[in-house]
Amino acid sequence: MAKVKLSGIRKSFGQSEVIKGIDLEIPAGSFCAFVGPSGCGKSTLLRMIAGLEDITHGSLEIGGQEMIDVAPAKRGVAMVFQSYALYPHMTVAENVTFGLRMANHPKRDTEQRCLEAARMLKLEELLDRKPSQLSGGQRQRVAIGRAIVRNPDVFLFDEPLSNLDAALRVEMRAEITRLHAKLDATMLYVTHDQVEAMTMADMIVVLDKGMIEQVGSPLGLYHEPNTLFVARFIGSPRMNTFSVNLCDAGDGNVSCMLPGGSSIQLDGSSLRTGKATFGIRPEHLDVVADGHLQGKAVLCERLGSETMLHVDIGLADPITVKADGLTNVTEGDAVGLKLNPKACHLFGPDDRRVRSGSLQ
Amino acid sequence: MKPVPAAPRRRRKRLDLTPWLFLAPAIMFFLVYVVVPIGQSISISFLEWDGLGEKKWIGLQNYQDLLKDEAFYVSLKNNLIWLVLYLLAIPAGLFLALFLNQTVTGMRLYKSLFFFPFVISNVVVGLIFSWFYTPDFGLMPKIIGFFTGEEIAVLANESLATYGIVAAGLWPQIAYCMILYLTGLNSINPELVEAARLDDAKGFKMLWYVILPQLRPATFIALVVTVIGALRSFDLVAIMTVGGPWGSSRVLSYFMFEQSLSEYGTSMGYGAAIAVVLFAIMLVFITMFIVRMIIQERTA
Amino acid sequence: MFPTPIERTQPRTRFAYKVFLPIALILWLLPLLGVALTSVKPAADLDSGNYFGAPSRIAIENYWLVFKNSNIGYYFWNSIKVTVPSVLVSIGLSLLAGFALATYSFRSNLIIFFMIVAGNYVPYQILAIPVRDLPININLYDTTLGLALTHIAFQTGFCTLFMRNFIKALPNALIESARVEGVSEWRIFCYIVVPLVRPAIAALSVLIFTFVWNEYFWATIMSQSVDVRPVTAGINELSGEWKARWELISAASILTAAPPVLMFFLMQKHFIAGLALGATKG
Repeated sequence: MAKVKLSGIRKSFGQSEVIKGIDLEIPAGSFCAFVGPSGCGKSTLLRMIAGLEDITHGSLEIGGQEMIDVAPAKRGVAMVFQSYALYPHMTVAENVTFGLRMANHPKRDTEQRCLEAARMLKLEELLDRKPSQLSGGQRQRVAIGRAIVRNPDVFLFDEPLSNLDAALRVEMRAEITRLHAKLDATMLYVTHDQVEAMTMADMIVVLDKGMIEQVGSPLGLYHEPNTLFVARFIGSPRMNTFSVNLCDAGDGNVSCMLPGGSSIQLDGSSLRTGKATFGIRPEHLDVVADGHLQGKAVLCERLGSETMLHVDIGLADPITVKADGLTNVTEGDAVGLKLNPKACHLFGPDDRRVRSGSLQ
Repeated sequence: MKPVPAAPRRRRKRLDLTPWLFLAPAIMFFLVYVVVPIGQSISISFLEWDGLGEKKWIGLQNYQDLLKDEAFYVSLKNNLIWLVLYLLAIPAGLFLALFLNQTVTGMRLYKSLFFFPFVISNVVVGLIFSWFYTPDFGLMPKIIGFFTGEEIAVLANESLATYGIVAAGLWPQIAYCMILYLTGLNSINPELVEAARLDDAKGFKMLWYVILPQLRPATFIALVVTVIGALRSFDLVAIMTVGGPWGSSRVLSYFMFEQSLSEYGTSMGYGAAIAVVLFAIMLVFITMFIVRMIIQERTA
Repeated sequence: MFPTPIERTQPRTRFAYKVFLPIALILWLLPLLGVALTSVKPAADLDSGNYFGAPSRIAIENYWLVFKNSNIGYYFWNSIKVTVPSVLVSIGLSLLAGFALATYSFRSNLIIFFMIVAGNYVPYQILAIPVRDLPININLYDTTLGLALTHIAFQTGFCTLFMRNFIKALPNALIESARVEGVSEWRIFCYIVVPLVRPAIAALSVLIFTFVWNEYFWATIMSQSVDVRPVTAGINELSGEWKARWELISAASILTAAPPVLMFFLMQKHFIAGLALGATKG
């Protein structure tokens, strides 16, 4: 268990800078997820922590020790790769113990650790098989086992579940969370899937274009996104956003001109007049006869437990509404939508938050 | 953005030296047997030297002599004939590959047997075709005789010898191109072909618009090995005609061999000059190929 | 699949294809078949003008005569002595070099790689005079070792190109994962890379064996004595001596061609995979 501290980390490939100055402190024992769209630099950041990529600038501390010039193997980290990186010519047991054997670790302890990891990951029956004889989920577990036997201070996961099918992914998600509780180690986890990040991590780092957009707890990011980017990245289906005009309504309130002509009064906005981006999540819109917004349902996705309505309110794109599973709205129906003022987000012209709809 | 204090960065020496240790033996060989000899040959081309005695610097004299030597022009012309005709191996190989790209029983054996000529040494190919062309014993004069009423000894004919040798060279080269295309055809995504079928592409149009673009890597390699092979041609000339009759089937590589390396060849400087000319010609092609490979490597 | 699978065509086309296929093969191999046929004809057949007909009897003794009347036995042995070490050493060296070029990104990596590729295409004549003098100066001229070293030098270039591409195609995560585990570079090479490139080693072995066995230019200029001369150089000399004894020349030709052909048939899969992968023999 160790703390990971990044200060002023930068990385360039030739001319282009892919990591543009990252300062971050990850407390010991936390489960920290790096999320962001592809190309945001999250994997590069993880590989820099592992020591697989040089750090162009800045400092990296693991457990209070500077690691910039330390070889990957000496950093006390273990990494699980997206492709699992299992050696195809070795059995499961050989794969799991390869690093220890190469380091001439005592034989008895190597076997001991291998069995322990196998038990933890339910791999006992498979120890003599080759990777090609395993299913995707089993391979994934072997890759994790290989990390476990090294007793690392920090686990690094690079999109470990993206090659699995949906059902297996849910299962492995729970398994990794369980492992985190049991091993009590610091885990850094890279994913492009915000659901994975939300369900597993206690700390989420949202990255975009090589910079940190926001750091926070899952619910913190959901309820109080600092930027439009985070607001739209976290949450599924994504938050509806459209531009509005604000005017000061006095008493600390602003009035937003909504599409279709009606308006809504909101409190607590730091921006009083001019253009802003209005954001509201699909789950915070209610279907009513006569609401703030009027439109026509163009698509109804019936998922059973809920129904996703795509409502055309005269904007370029329809907005999404999460309605009851048994709603009787059908395609072509006129729909009124009521906004919960406590759930309305506002973002200024620089895309930074001016009001959060944290339901508080 | 606030400036970031530059952390002290030392390079990790361990990783920096390792590749050179792994490379050292191969690079040694490469330097000793390729890089240095090229330089030496170029410098020898400015000398008058019999290989043993005194070396005399004569500047560009060897090159000037070369320009006046009719044998040089004959060789050059033959190299051009080789190059042009050898390129036929590419479409011919493609044709054979298309013909053989089927899954009839025993197809594997057929493909192997068609590939046979490439596995055989050029020396043997040369001997086989020498026999094939020999008057009385060989088949070819009989075939020609059947059509023209006159048996011709191809290799003894000044104006035909080179063509005869090129034909022999095409035999293994076509086999080579065929196998390149066969593997290329094998790696085409079948869904792509099916999609094109649904778009009603067939026959030659399918080949031209769908298949050939997919075969570009194979075509490129076929082109490289064919061009290089044509310009390097030596074995068959040495075996089938020893440059004759009367030097009419010489190519630059054989001309050089005659001058410097054969039993009676002792003009090292002159031979080196011929080699430099051949090298310069090939360098044009090599550079083109390498540039294309570098572009590929960059985009990959 | 393109062209259209023959099973899906009309019966008439299918029939024509099946009939034409063996005919095409016979035409394609006609020169070779002719030589094979000649090699088992008794000398009397040729003397009496039976050039193309069936042999009056199968004269296996031609093959025996080849060995008895010439040094071809020595030549064969010489070829083996040159070929086997050339194959082993050039593959060994190229494994090392290919690993370096495929897994490390250092500044001159691509330059070295493309130098080696280019070196592979250079005409031998530009190298021949100095390369022939090289062993003369260190007393290795006209020795098996001198010839083998030359082959090693030129085959290593091709092998390196091949190995580099093969190793580069391995998932990089395998090597990175070992690095994170603290495995030394040398051990990564021995325990991960070498086992994984076994197919490439197999393919290269057949290819290089064939190339070296069949090589003629260096064989002629680097060897003179009976104990050194490889079979390709030797047989050409013999064909000069035997002039019109085509049954002997044919038999010797078949013998010379046999080892690579055998190798090809035994390891066909590797051979073709190798050509497809490296595919840059000059």
